[in-house]
Amino acid sequence: MNRQDLKTIIYAEKKKEETNKYKHKICVCCGAGCISSGSEEVMKKLQEEIKTRGLENEVEVIPTGCMGPCNQGPLMKFLPEYNIYQKVDCSNIAAIVQSQLIEKKPIEDLLLFADSREKPFIDARDDPYFKKQLKIALKNCGHINPERIEDYLVHNGYLALDKVLFEMSPEEVIAEVKQSRIRGRGGAGYPAGLKWETVYKYVNDQKYVICNGDEGDPGAFMDRSVLEGNPHRVLEGMAIAGYAIGANKGYAYIRGEYPLAIKRFELAIKQAKKLGLLGNNILGTTFSFDVEVRIGAGAFVCGEETALIASIEGKRGTPRPRPPFPAESGLWGKPTLINNVETFAAISPIINNGGEWYSEIGTPKSAGTKVFALAGKINYAGLIEVPMGTTLREIVFDIGGGIQNGEEFKAAQTGGPSGGCIPAEHLDVKMDYESLVSLGSIMGSGGLIIMDKSSDMVDVARFFMEFCMDESCGKCVPCRVGTRMMHDLLQKICDNKATQIDLDRLEELAVYVKETSLCGLGGSAPNPLLSTLRHFRKEYESRIVQHD
Amino acid sequence: MNCYMNTIPIIIDDKKLEVDPGKTILEVCRENEIEILTMCHLKGVLDIGACRLCLVEIEGVNKLLSACTTKVAANMIIRTNTDRIKKYQRITTELFFAERNHVCAVCVANGKCELQDLGYKVGLDHIRYPHLFPQCEVDTSHPWYVMDHNRCIMCTRCVRVCNEVEGAHNWDVMNRGHQVRVISDFNSPWGESVTCTSCGKCLHACPTGAIWPKAIVQGQLQKNPGMINELVEKRKMKL
Amino acid sequence: MDFELPLFLFNKNAGEFYMKSDTAVPVKDMPKTDPRMKLIAAKLKKESFKPDALIEILHTAQNAYGYLPKEVLSYITKALHLPPSRVYSTVTFYHFFSLKSKGEHTCLVCTGTACYVKGAQAILNEIERGLGLKAGQVTADNKLGVQVARCIGACGLAPAVVLDDEVQAKVAPEEIVQKINAKIGTL
Repeated sequence: MNRQDLKTIIYAEKKKEETNKYKHKICVCCGAGCISSGSEEVMKKLQEEIKTRGLENEVEVIPTGCMGPCNQGPLMKFLPEYNIYQKVDCSNIAAIVQSQLIEKKPIEDLLLFADSREKPFIDARDDPYFKKQLKIALKNCGHINPERIEDYLVHNGYLALDKVLFEMSPEEVIAEVKQSRIRGRGGAGYPAGLKWETVYKYVNDQKYVICNGDEGDPGAFMDRSVLEGNPHRVLEGMAIAGYAIGANKGYAYIRGEYPLAIKRFELAIKQAKKLGLLGNNILGTTFSFDVEVRIGAGAFVCGEETALIASIEGKRGTPRPRPPFPAESGLWGKPTLINNVETFAAISPIINNGGEWYSEIGTPKSAGTKVFALAGKINYAGLIEVPMGTTLREIVFDIGGGIQNGEEFKAAQTGGPSGGCIPAEHLDVKMDYESLVSLGSIMGSGGLIIMDKSSDMVDVARFFMEFCMDESCGKCVPCRVGTRMMHDLLQKICDNKATQIDLDRLEELAVYVKETSLCGLGGSAPNPLLSTLRHFRKEYESRIVQHD
Repeated sequence: MNCYMNTIPIIIDDKKLEVDPGKTILEVCRENEIEILTMCHLKGVLDIGACRLCLVEIEGVNKLLSACTTKVAANMIIRTNTDRIKKYQRITTELFFAERNHVCAVCVANGKCELQDLGYKVGLDHIRYPHLFPQCEVDTSHPWYVMDHNRCIMCTRCVRVCNEVEGAHNWDVMNRGHQVRVISDFNSPWGESVTCTSCGKCLHACPTGAIWPKAIVQGQLQKNPGMINELVEKRKMKL
Repeated sequence: MDFELPLFLFNKNAGEFYMKSDTAVPVKDMPKTDPRMKLIAAKLKKESFKPDALIEILHTAQNAYGYLPKEVLSYITKALHLPPSRVYSTVTFYHFFSLKSKGEHTCLVCTGTACYVKGAQAILNEIERGLGLKAGQVTADNKLGVQVARCIGACGLAPAVVLDDEVQAKVAPEEIVQKINAKIGTL
């Protein structure tokens, strides 16, 4: 397929969309969350219902990716009215169809957040839950069928790839990404443009692009939703990166725990290859790029780039000391670019709208938007995307709908087992890389666990330490033995058996492990402990046994 | 004056040095008699930076880097003996001793053990952390050698020697975290190994009393870790 | 007197010794007609016997058997020309691979942060009280195995339990045993 063919397909698809024979479109959320709540049966029942009423020429039913409020699922969205129904089950579908499509008025009691808000918003876009959000990486999730490439093409899909291949040089692409000031969304926040430039500068006949979808943080599911809701976006981002740095081969490393994401991503690769948007001589140019999926086998440490490379090579996923960085010597010793799923998902809008547009969103130091996975004791758990610099208070209370059962907010854990907690007095902290670091936490990949007063902070620290102890690869001494020692000491404190000496030793060990560990896992393993010690020291001290 | 055009200046512990680029900090220190403690380093096999004893401070780098894997760069200012590094070396040594069941008095390597020497060097008088006392096996199935996991410190020198020098790859590491163990083949007894050539290089590579020959008693053990590098050099020359 | 190591001595019994080892890893006993073995063989061919595809092939084997029997491991080892210890070390590194049968039915309790905060421990306690099974254990008749997972990514539905391949959302501790019994009874 050449460039003209792509334009023809997009034009034809757009035409079809405009002269839509369907008056209504019903999106049924088929993200992993809603599927577990039974959205597949809902969809089947809905199709039957529409058939029995003879509406199949007026109404189109499509499965989509995640819409956001996962704990209210299964979700069903009526377009163009933008009415979203929550907790749909097979018994009330008939009533919804009757009211929505025949009587043309929504059933208010079943609308999104009807059970928790005084009055639900008829048009879901007016709801503060959506109004406060800005969706860039998740833009088409929940609107398009992730299993059809045509749906993505209608929403300007692969236009960015077309643009870079025909109108931009690799240097210009890198300059655009640099100008957007997007930072790696995997956790550390290294500027993506700089990384691309570094890999670009190494001269080698073989380079690789790796998409890191090994989202191991417990309580985080951003990458999963992006891969499930819009796999083509990630694929396009990888191809653009490949063009920019001069790589012809990409690997997508996806967690084995996400079978649906793997299935949809593999399907996306197949579809893109069929249309000539991937493979040899993309769109008739000399640029070739191929992507292969590698399935993770359940090791948190494989999120670390050097460990991930070892795992793709089919070895134990143990990290190695850096330098040399993967940009110089990565997969099979070749220069390798590793970015997170979310970073790749943001590339095509950056190319389409320009780096300047992206850099104006968010805060001066942290540009753009960030996807957070809200979970824990919060009313509307799910997936949200907000501009950088949104305060925690806005996220928890305006978007998240506050704490469950009207309890008091105690702390929020960001960055999973590598991050730290933010106590109630810092509710107005701006969620960006620097502000979180100054509070002793990190942005991490975006997991946000909300805790109320029933959460015991020492136990939370112990929980995360247990996680790191289990996930330590066992290569270096501080992480292998240090995490075990810290876990044992924390357990001792939890059992009310520890003394002040134990607490002092714990603190010394925490700093030691943080500074001496070989990789990021060990280096950040003491973070939850240090941060709870910083903000909730009293809880530790109240459990110390006093000796006289 | 710099008489060699291809050397670079660096400063280690306030000592000005002119060194060849491409060398690691550890190599430079060893050549200039600056002491760096190591455990997983063995000349002749690849360095993995796992024991974290050789960490050094480098001005302008906010992380501590392992001397064995970091190459020297021009104008590097390196410190190897600050209080912080000494403190961390002590803690690392304590963790080594607390991890498995090290009892020098009954160990065959008593007096010839690198871990014991390390303890003396960092001035270890007692261990402040609770011993983990893991259940470890002693594998005596090999006709000549014994593998005692109680004394293993997971430096993986034996694994690397077996893989890189002998090329047999009898040894590897199983599990992860604090449950790691050195294994032979499918975690089967050493004596049943189909890959082991009984060459004994792992024995010389082992810094502690974890691998030792049968039929000797305390004081008789002779280990020669230097032979590994000699072998590597000789094999390169293909005499 | 220092003891000289018998380093380069040739052991007369070595030949016999190695033969014994070959029976310890019985490759020839492999049932080639087993459709599951054919699946692995096909995958090996698809990956053109590249050693770096080890993890992909192990995934196939794990899915086909539910665990990795020793015969299958040695078959893969020989096919990829890898040292046995290298394969074994990779298998034991990753959570996904199991060397023991996990039971006909599985009950996977998610202990990710969100589920933990919402009471995953109470569910585990209830399973132990009701069925006498701790995490990682299998019933004597191999009918049911209980496992824990570090986050299955269904945090919006916490606490979540996966019975066989079906996600159970917002599970109350008191109903878990009943749910398990219903599952085993009906199947």
